[in-house]
Amino acid sequence: MAEKLKEIIESMIFISVEPLTPEKMKEVLQDVPEQDIAQAVQDLVAAYAASEGAIRIIQTAGGYVFSTKPEFDPYVRRLLQIERKSRLSHQALETLSAIAYHQPVTLPEISAIRGCDSTYALHSLLEKKLIKIVGRKEAPGRPLLYRTTDKFLVYFGLNSLEDLPKEEELKKLMEEENA
Amino acid sequence: MDAEQSYQVRLEIFEGPLDLLLFLIRKKKIDIQDIPIALITREYLDYLSRKDRINLDREAEFLLMAALLIYIKSQMLLPREQLLEPEEDPRKELADRLMDYQTIKAVVQVLREKEDEQMQVWRRSALTSPLPDEDLDLIEVSLFDLAESFFTMMKRRQGEELKVIKGKEVTMAEKMNEIINVLKERHYLDFLEYLGEQETLEEALVAFFCLLELIKARLVIAIQEQLFHTIKVWLRKEAHVKATHG
Repeated sequence: MAEKLKEIIESMIFISVEPLTPEKMKEVLQDVPEQDIAQAVQDLVAAYAASEGAIRIIQTAGGYVFSTKPEFDPYVRRLLQIERKSRLSHQALETLSAIAYHQPVTLPEISAIRGCDSTYALHSLLEKKLIKIVGRKEAPGRPLLYRTTDKFLVYFGLNSLEDLPKEEELKKLMEEENA
Repeated sequence: MDAEQSYQVRLEIFEGPLDLLLFLIRKKKIDIQDIPIALITREYLDYLSRKDRINLDREAEFLLMAALLIYIKSQMLLPREQLLEPEEDPRKELADRLMDYQTIKAVVQVLREKEDEQMQVWRRSALTSPLPDEDLDLIEVSLFDLAESFFTMMKRRQGEELKVIKGKEVTMAEKMNEIINVLKERHYLDFLEYLGEQETLEEALVAFFCLLELIKARLVIAIQEQLFHTIKVWLRKEAHVKATHG
Protein backbone atom coordinates (compact mmCIF):
# COMPACT_ATOMS: atom_id res chain seq x y z
CA MET A 1 0.00 0.00 0.00
CA ALA A 2 2.84 2.34 0.90
CA GLU A 3 4.04 2.77 -2.68
CA LYS A 4 0.57 3.88 -3.74
CA LEU A 5 0.20 6.26 -0.82
CA LYS A 6 0.52 9.40 -2.92
CA GLU A 7 -2.17 8.18 -5.32
CA ILE A 8 -4.46 7.15 -2.48
CA ILE A 9 -4.27 10.61 -0.98
CA GLU A 10 -4.76 12.13 -4.42
CA SER A 11 -8.01 10.20 -4.84
CA MET A 12 -9.23 11.31 -1.43
CA ILE A 13 -8.52 14.96 -2.12
CA PHE A 14 -10.12 14.60 -5.55
CA ILE A 15 -13.40 13.47 -4.06
CA SER A 16 -13.42 16.04 -1.25
CA VAL A 17 -15.46 19.17 -1.70
CA GLU A 18 -14.21 20.71 1.52
CA PRO A 19 -10.46 20.88 2.29
CA LEU A 20 -9.25 17.41 3.36
CA THR A 21 -7.36 17.63 6.64
CA PRO A 22 -4.38 15.43 7.61
CA GLU A 23 -6.50 14.20 10.53
CA LYS A 24 -9.12 12.87 8.11
CA MET A 25 -6.42 11.22 6.00
CA LYS A 26 -5.05 9.55 9.11
CA GLU A 27 -8.51 8.31 10.00
CA VAL A 28 -8.69 6.52 6.65
CA LEU A 29 -5.06 5.37 6.53
CA GLN A 30 -4.96 4.02 10.04
CA ASP A 31 -1.79 1.94 9.93
CA VAL A 32 0.30 4.39 7.93
CA PRO A 33 2.72 6.45 10.03
CA GLU A 34 1.92 10.12 10.26
CA GLN A 35 5.17 11.33 8.72
CA ASP A 36 4.68 9.04 5.71
CA ILE A 37 1.34 10.69 5.06
CA ALA A 38 2.83 14.15 5.49
CA GLN A 39 5.65 13.28 3.08
CA ALA A 40 3.24 11.86 0.49
CA VAL A 41 1.06 14.97 0.69
CA GLN A 42 4.09 17.17 0.25
CA ASP A 43 5.24 15.17 -2.80
CA LEU A 44 1.76 15.28 -4.27
CA VAL A 45 1.40 19.05 -3.84
CA ALA A 46 4.86 19.54 -5.33
CA ALA A 47 4.05 17.27 -8.28
CA TYR A 48 0.95 19.28 -9.13
CA ALA A 49 2.79 22.56 -8.67
CA ALA A 50 5.47 21.42 -11.10
CA SER A 51 3.04 20.17 -13.73
CA GLU A 52 1.77 22.24 -16.65
CA GLY A 53 -1.82 21.21 -15.97
CA ALA A 54 -4.75 23.41 -15.07
CA ILE A 55 -5.18 21.99 -11.59
CA ARG A 56 -3.15 22.45 -8.46
CA ILE A 57 -3.55 21.45 -4.83
CA ILE A 58 -3.82 24.26 -2.32
CA GLN A 59 -3.60 24.16 1.43
CA THR A 60 -6.37 26.09 3.08
CA ALA A 61 -8.03 26.09 6.50
CA GLY A 62 -5.69 23.29 7.53
CA GLY A 63 -6.68 20.96 4.68
CA TYR A 64 -5.95 20.23 1.03
CA VAL A 65 -8.22 20.81 -1.93
CA PHE A 66 -7.96 20.87 -5.71
CA SER A 67 -8.35 24.22 -7.42
CA THR A 68 -8.07 25.59 -10.92
CA LYS A 69 -5.33 28.03 -11.87
CA PRO A 70 -6.39 31.68 -12.16
CA GLU A 71 -5.89 31.84 -15.93
CA PHE A 72 -8.86 29.52 -16.48
CA ASP A 73 -11.24 31.67 -14.49
CA PRO A 74 -13.06 33.13 -17.52
CA TYR A 75 -13.86 29.67 -18.89
CA VAL A 76 -15.01 28.26 -15.58
CA ARG A 77 -17.32 31.22 -15.14
CA ARG A 78 -18.72 30.75 -18.60
CA LEU A 79 -19.34 27.08 -17.90
CA LEU A 80 -21.07 27.77 -14.59
CA GLN A 81 -22.86 30.79 -16.04
CA ILE A 82 -21.58 33.15 -13.39
CA GLU A 83 -21.01 36.73 -14.46
CA ARG A 84 -18.76 37.52 -11.57
CA LYS A 85 -18.31 36.53 -7.98
CA SER A 86 -19.49 39.20 -5.61
CA ARG A 87 -16.89 40.80 -3.36
CA LEU A 88 -17.35 41.84 0.22
CA SER A 89 -18.29 45.46 0.78
CA HIS A 90 -15.65 47.80 2.14
CA GLN A 91 -17.60 48.07 5.37
CA ALA A 92 -17.83 44.30 5.77
CA LEU A 93 -14.14 43.82 5.00
CA GLU A 94 -13.10 46.47 7.52
CA THR A 95 -15.27 44.88 10.21
CA LEU A 96 -13.84 41.47 9.35
CA SER A 97 -10.29 42.81 9.62
CA ALA A 98 -11.03 44.28 13.03
CA ILE A 99 -12.41 40.92 14.19
CA ALA A 100 -9.54 38.91 12.69
CA TYR A 101 -6.94 40.96 14.57
CA HIS A 102 -8.74 41.43 17.87
CA GLN A 103 -10.60 38.15 18.31
CA PRO A 104 -12.41 37.21 20.41
CA VAL A 105 -14.03 40.61 20.29
CA THR A 106 -17.40 42.23 21.08
CA LEU A 107 -19.53 44.48 18.90
CA PRO A 108 -18.88 47.65 20.97
CA GLU A 109 -15.15 46.97 20.71
CA ILE A 110 -15.36 46.57 16.94
CA SER A 111 -17.38 49.78 16.63
CA ALA A 112 -14.81 51.63 18.75
CA ILE A 113 -11.93 50.40 16.59
CA ARG A 114 -13.70 51.46 13.41
CA GLY A 115 -15.11 54.68 14.85
CA CYS A 116 -18.60 53.87 13.62
CA ASP A 117 -21.49 51.56 14.29
CA SER A 118 -20.80 48.08 12.94
CA THR A 119 -24.05 46.26 13.71
CA TYR A 120 -25.14 45.86 10.12
CA ALA A 121 -21.76 44.71 8.83
CA LEU A 122 -21.49 42.23 11.70
CA HIS A 123 -24.84 40.68 10.89
CA SER A 124 -24.04 40.29 7.23
CA LEU A 125 -20.75 38.58 8.15
CA LEU A 126 -22.60 36.23 10.50
CA GLU A 127 -25.04 35.40 7.73
CA LYS A 128 -22.17 34.64 5.37
CA LYS A 129 -20.71 32.43 8.12
CA LEU A 130 -17.38 34.24 7.94
CA ILE A 131 -17.63 34.89 11.68
CA LYS A 132 -19.32 33.10 14.57
CA ILE A 133 -20.39 33.72 18.15
CA VAL A 134 -18.08 31.98 20.61
CA GLY A 135 -19.54 33.04 23.95
CA ARG A 136 -20.03 36.06 26.14
CA LYS A 137 -17.55 38.42 27.66
CA GLU A 138 -17.50 38.56 31.45
CA ALA A 139 -18.08 42.29 31.43
CA PRO A 140 -21.04 44.57 32.15
CA GLY A 141 -23.93 43.53 29.93
CA ARG A 142 -22.15 40.27 29.05
CA PRO A 143 -21.80 41.19 25.36
CA LEU A 144 -21.37 38.42 22.77
CA LEU A 145 -17.88 37.53 21.60
CA TYR A 146 -17.09 36.94 17.93
CA ARG A 147 -14.40 34.99 16.09
CA THR A 148 -13.57 34.27 12.48
CA THR A 149 -14.51 30.83 11.09
CA ASP A 150 -12.80 28.23 8.90
CA LYS A 151 -14.89 29.57 6.06
CA PHE A 152 -13.12 32.88 6.57
CA LEU A 153 -9.78 31.11 6.03
CA VAL A 154 -11.04 29.32 2.92
CA TYR A 155 -12.57 32.49 1.52
CA PHE A 156 -9.25 34.32 1.64
CA GLY A 157 -7.16 31.25 0.80
CA LEU A 158 -5.44 31.26 4.19
CA ASN A 159 -4.21 28.12 5.87
CA SER A 160 -4.48 29.47 9.42
CA LEU A 161 -4.73 32.78 11.23
CA GLU A 162 -0.93 32.66 11.40
CA ASP A 163 -0.95 33.46 7.67
CA LEU A 164 -2.31 36.94 8.33
CA PRO A 165 0.42 39.58 8.10
CA LYS A 166 2.18 40.26 11.40
CA GLU A 167 2.33 43.67 12.98
CA GLU A 168 5.79 44.44 11.59
CA GLU A 169 4.70 43.57 8.06
CA LEU A 170 1.67 45.80 8.45
CA LYS A 171 3.84 48.66 9.68
CA LYS A 172 5.97 48.31 6.58
CA LEU A 173 2.86 48.37 4.43
CA MET A 174 1.59 51.49 6.17
CA GLU A 175 4.92 53.25 5.68
CA GLU A 176 4.83 52.47 1.98
CA GLU A 177 1.32 53.81 1.84
CA ASN A 178 2.24 57.02 3.64
CA ALA A 179 5.39 57.62 1.65
CA MET B 1 -6.37 63.64 -12.01
CA ASP B 2 -6.66 66.94 -10.17
CA ALA B 3 -6.81 67.19 -6.42
CA GLU B 4 -10.48 67.99 -6.27
CA GLN B 5 -11.39 64.87 -8.18
CA SER B 6 -9.30 62.47 -6.19
CA TYR B 7 -10.88 63.91 -3.06
CA GLN B 8 -14.30 62.97 -4.37
CA VAL B 9 -13.29 59.50 -5.41
CA ARG B 10 -11.73 58.64 -2.09
CA LEU B 11 -14.83 59.80 -0.29
CA GLU B 12 -16.79 56.91 -1.73
CA ILE B 13 -15.05 54.53 0.62
CA PHE B 14 -15.22 56.64 3.74
CA GLU B 15 -17.09 54.93 6.47
CA GLY B 16 -16.44 56.63 9.77
CA PRO B 17 -15.06 59.78 11.28
CA LEU B 18 -11.74 58.04 11.94
CA ASP B 19 -11.50 57.34 8.27
CA LEU B 20 -12.03 60.96 7.41
CA LEU B 21 -9.67 62.17 10.08
CA LEU B 22 -7.03 59.74 8.94
CA PHE B 23 -7.50 60.92 5.40
CA LEU B 24 -7.13 64.58 6.36
CA ILE B 25 -4.06 63.78 8.40
CA ARG B 26 -2.55 61.81 5.57
CA LYS B 27 -3.28 64.50 3.03
CA LYS B 28 -1.43 67.04 5.14
CA LYS B 29 1.30 64.48 5.75
CA ILE B 30 1.08 65.05 9.47
CA ASP B 31 2.40 62.77 12.15
CA ILE B 32 -0.44 61.12 13.97
CA GLN B 33 1.28 61.83 17.27
CA ASP B 34 0.94 65.54 16.60
CA ILE B 35 -2.59 66.31 15.53
CA PRO B 36 -3.09 69.98 14.66
CA ILE B 37 -6.73 70.44 15.45
CA ALA B 38 -7.31 73.88 13.94
CA LEU B 39 -5.88 72.78 10.61
CA ILE B 40 -7.96 69.65 10.41
CA THR B 41 -11.13 71.40 11.44
CA ARG B 42 -10.56 74.14 8.87
CA GLU B 43 -9.86 71.57 6.19
CA TYR B 44 -13.03 69.74 7.12
CA LEU B 45 -15.17 72.88 7.03
CA ASP B 46 -13.68 73.74 3.64
CA TYR B 47 -14.62 70.33 2.41
CA LEU B 48 -18.17 70.69 3.72
CA SER B 49 -18.66 74.04 2.03
CA ARG B 50 -17.42 72.64 -1.25
CA LYS B 51 -19.92 69.82 -1.22
CA ASP B 52 -23.39 70.47 -2.48
CA ARG B 53 -24.73 67.27 -1.00
CA ILE B 54 -24.08 66.07 2.51
CA ASN B 55 -24.27 62.63 3.98
CA LEU B 56 -25.82 63.44 7.34
CA ASP B 57 -24.78 60.20 9.01
CA ARG B 58 -21.18 60.70 8.17
CA GLU B 59 -21.07 64.39 9.03
CA ALA B 60 -22.82 63.72 12.34
CA GLU B 61 -20.15 61.19 13.19
CA PHE B 62 -17.49 63.72 12.39
CA LEU B 63 -19.09 66.15 14.85
CA LEU B 64 -18.23 63.74 17.62
CA MET B 65 -14.68 63.69 16.39
CA ALA B 66 -14.63 67.47 16.14
CA ALA B 67 -15.86 67.76 19.72
CA LEU B 68 -13.09 65.43 20.82
CA LEU B 69 -10.55 67.50 18.93
CA ILE B 70 -11.76 70.70 20.55
CA TYR B 71 -11.64 69.05 23.93
CA ILE B 72 -8.07 68.01 23.33
CA LYS B 73 -7.19 71.50 22.15
CA SER B 74 -8.73 73.11 25.23
CA GLN B 75 -6.83 70.71 27.47
CA MET B 76 -3.64 71.66 25.72
CA LEU B 77 -4.29 75.38 26.04
CA LEU B 78 -5.19 75.40 29.72
CA PRO B 79 -2.31 76.59 31.84
CA ARG B 80 -1.16 73.98 34.32
CA GLU B 81 0.85 74.18 37.44
CA GLN B 82 2.68 70.99 36.68
CA LEU B 83 3.76 69.81 33.32
CA LEU B 84 1.83 66.81 32.06
CA GLU B 85 3.44 63.42 32.02
CA PRO B 86 3.70 62.12 28.47
CA GLU B 87 1.19 59.42 29.42
CA GLU B 88 -1.37 62.05 30.29
CA ASP B 89 -1.17 63.88 26.99
CA PRO B 90 -4.82 64.30 25.96
CA ARG B 91 -3.83 63.59 22.37
CA LYS B 92 -2.61 60.15 23.29
CA GLU B 93 -5.97 58.41 23.34
CA LEU B 94 -6.91 59.66 19.92
CA ALA B 95 -3.46 58.90 18.55
CA ASP B 96 -3.71 55.33 19.87
CA ARG B 97 -7.09 54.83 18.32
CA LEU B 98 -5.86 56.19 15.03
CA MET B 99 -2.87 53.87 15.08
CA ASP B 100 -5.18 50.93 15.68
CA TYR B 101 -7.44 52.05 12.91
CA GLN B 102 -4.58 52.55 10.51
CA THR B 103 -3.50 48.98 11.14
CA ILE B 104 -7.00 47.81 10.28
CA LYS B 105 -6.86 49.78 7.04
CA ALA B 106 -3.66 47.99 6.11
CA VAL B 107 -5.27 44.64 6.90
CA VAL B 108 -8.22 45.54 4.68
CA GLN B 109 -5.82 46.11 1.83
CA VAL B 110 -4.14 42.76 2.35
CA LEU B 111 -7.43 40.89 2.62
CA ARG B 112 -8.82 42.60 -0.47
CA GLU B 113 -5.82 41.43 -2.48
CA LYS B 114 -6.28 37.91 -1.21
CA GLU B 115 -9.98 38.06 -2.01
CA ASP B 116 -9.19 39.14 -5.57
CA GLU B 117 -6.77 36.23 -5.93
CA GLN B 118 -9.36 33.79 -4.67
CA MET B 119 -12.00 35.18 -7.02
CA GLN B 120 -10.07 33.67 -9.89
CA VAL B 121 -9.54 30.19 -8.61
CA TRP B 122 -12.26 27.60 -8.48
CA ARG B 123 -12.78 24.59 -6.30
CA ARG B 124 -15.21 21.78 -6.57
CA SER B 125 -17.26 23.32 -3.77
CA ALA B 126 -18.41 25.82 -6.41
CA LEU B 127 -20.40 23.00 -7.98
CA THR B 128 -23.87 22.16 -6.85
CA SER B 129 -24.30 19.70 -4.07
CA PRO B 130 -26.92 17.01 -4.78
CA LEU B 131 -29.35 18.60 -2.36
CA PRO B 132 -29.30 22.10 -0.98
CA ASP B 133 -28.07 21.96 2.58
CA GLU B 134 -27.99 24.45 5.39
CA ASP B 135 -24.39 25.45 4.91
CA LEU B 136 -24.85 26.90 1.47
CA ASP B 137 -25.67 30.52 0.93
CA LEU B 138 -29.05 29.83 -0.53
CA ILE B 139 -31.16 32.63 -1.75
CA GLU B 140 -34.79 31.87 -2.22
CA VAL B 141 -35.78 33.85 -5.26
CA SER B 142 -38.76 36.12 -5.44
CA LEU B 143 -41.45 36.19 -8.09
CA PHE B 144 -39.71 39.18 -9.63
CA ASP B 145 -36.46 37.29 -10.10
CA LEU B 146 -38.32 34.47 -11.78
CA ALA B 147 -40.30 36.81 -14.00
CA GLU B 148 -37.18 38.74 -14.95
CA SER B 149 -35.36 35.53 -15.79
CA PHE B 150 -38.29 34.37 -17.85
CA PHE B 151 -38.62 37.57 -19.84
CA THR B 152 -34.90 37.67 -20.51
CA MET B 153 -35.21 34.26 -22.04
CA MET B 154 -38.27 35.21 -24.04
CA LYS B 155 -36.42 38.16 -25.45
CA ARG B 156 -33.53 35.95 -26.42
CA ARG B 157 -35.89 33.64 -28.24
CA GLN B 158 -37.75 36.42 -29.98
CA GLY B 159 -35.40 36.21 -32.94
CA GLU B 160 -36.26 32.58 -33.51
CA GLU B 161 -38.74 31.76 -36.14
CA LEU B 162 -41.61 30.30 -34.29
CA LYS B 163 -43.80 27.82 -36.05
CA VAL B 164 -47.18 27.46 -34.50
CA ILE B 165 -48.31 23.89 -34.46
CA LYS B 166 -51.95 23.57 -33.78
CA GLY B 167 -53.43 20.65 -32.04
CA LYS B 168 -51.00 20.29 -29.20
CA GLU B 169 -52.62 21.70 -26.18
CA VAL B 170 -51.14 21.35 -22.78
CA THR B 171 -53.18 21.80 -19.69
CA MET B 172 -51.78 23.17 -16.46
CA ALA B 173 -52.49 19.89 -14.69
CA GLU B 174 -50.56 17.84 -17.27
CA LYS B 175 -47.63 20.19 -17.19
CA MET B 176 -47.51 20.26 -13.41
CA ASN B 177 -47.40 16.48 -13.32
CA GLU B 178 -44.69 16.53 -15.92
CA ILE B 179 -42.61 18.96 -13.86
CA ILE B 180 -43.04 16.92 -10.70
CA ASN B 181 -41.98 13.80 -12.57
CA VAL B 182 -38.93 15.50 -14.02
CA LEU B 183 -38.02 16.72 -10.56
CA LYS B 184 -38.39 13.27 -9.07
CA GLU B 185 -36.04 11.96 -11.67
CA ARG B 186 -33.49 14.74 -11.85
CA HIS B 187 -33.81 16.16 -8.32
CA TYR B 188 -33.65 19.67 -9.65
CA LEU B 189 -34.06 21.55 -12.86
CA ASP B 190 -32.51 24.67 -14.18
CA PHE B 191 -35.29 27.21 -14.44
CA LEU B 192 -34.23 28.80 -17.71
CA GLU B 193 -32.98 25.62 -19.31
CA TYR B 194 -36.27 23.92 -18.65
CA LEU B 195 -38.36 26.74 -20.07
CA GLY B 196 -36.00 26.94 -23.02
CA GLU B 197 -36.56 23.26 -23.74
CA GLN B 198 -40.26 23.79 -24.25
CA GLU B 199 -41.32 23.33 -27.85
CA THR B 200 -43.61 26.27 -28.26
CA LEU B 201 -43.99 29.64 -26.73
CA GLU B 202 -47.35 28.61 -25.42
CA GLU B 203 -45.93 25.57 -23.72
CA ALA B 204 -43.15 27.66 -22.18
CA LEU B 205 -45.74 30.06 -20.82
CA VAL B 206 -47.79 27.23 -19.39
CA ALA B 207 -44.66 25.75 -17.83
CA PHE B 208 -43.81 29.13 -16.32
CA PHE B 209 -47.23 29.48 -14.74
CA CYS B 210 -47.11 25.90 -13.52
CA LEU B 211 -43.81 26.57 -11.80
CA LEU B 212 -45.27 29.65 -10.15
CA GLU B 213 -48.26 27.62 -9.05
CA LEU B 214 -46.07 24.85 -7.64
CA ILE B 215 -43.97 27.38 -5.76
CA LYS B 216 -47.10 28.94 -4.34
CA ALA B 217 -48.38 25.52 -3.29
CA ARG B 218 -45.00 24.99 -1.60
CA LEU B 219 -44.41 21.78 -3.50
CA VAL B 220 -41.22 23.06 -5.07
CA ILE B 221 -38.72 25.71 -4.14
CA ALA B 222 -36.82 28.07 -6.43
CA ILE B 223 -33.31 28.75 -5.25
CA GLN B 224 -30.26 30.65 -6.33
CA GLU B 225 -27.18 29.18 -4.72
CA GLN B 226 -25.31 32.41 -5.04
CA LEU B 227 -25.96 35.76 -6.51
CA PHE B 228 -25.66 35.65 -10.31
CA HIS B 229 -25.96 31.88 -10.40
CA THR B 230 -28.74 30.38 -12.40
CA ILE B 231 -32.05 29.75 -10.70
CA LYS B 232 -32.77 26.15 -9.82
CA VAL B 233 -36.01 24.55 -8.90
CA TRP B 234 -36.02 21.80 -6.29
CA LEU B 235 -38.74 19.52 -5.09
CA ARG B 236 -39.43 20.24 -1.46
CA LYS B 237 -38.57 17.28 0.77
CA GLU B 238 -41.99 16.96 2.32
CA ALA B 239 -43.55 17.21 -1.14
CA HIS B 240 -41.25 14.43 -2.30
CA VAL B 241 -42.66 12.11 0.32
CA LYS B 242 -46.21 13.13 -0.53
CA ALA B 243 -45.65 12.67 -4.23
CA THR B 244 -44.16 9.21 -3.74
CA HIS B 245 -46.71 7.86 -1.33
CA GLY B 246 -49.70 9.88 -2.22
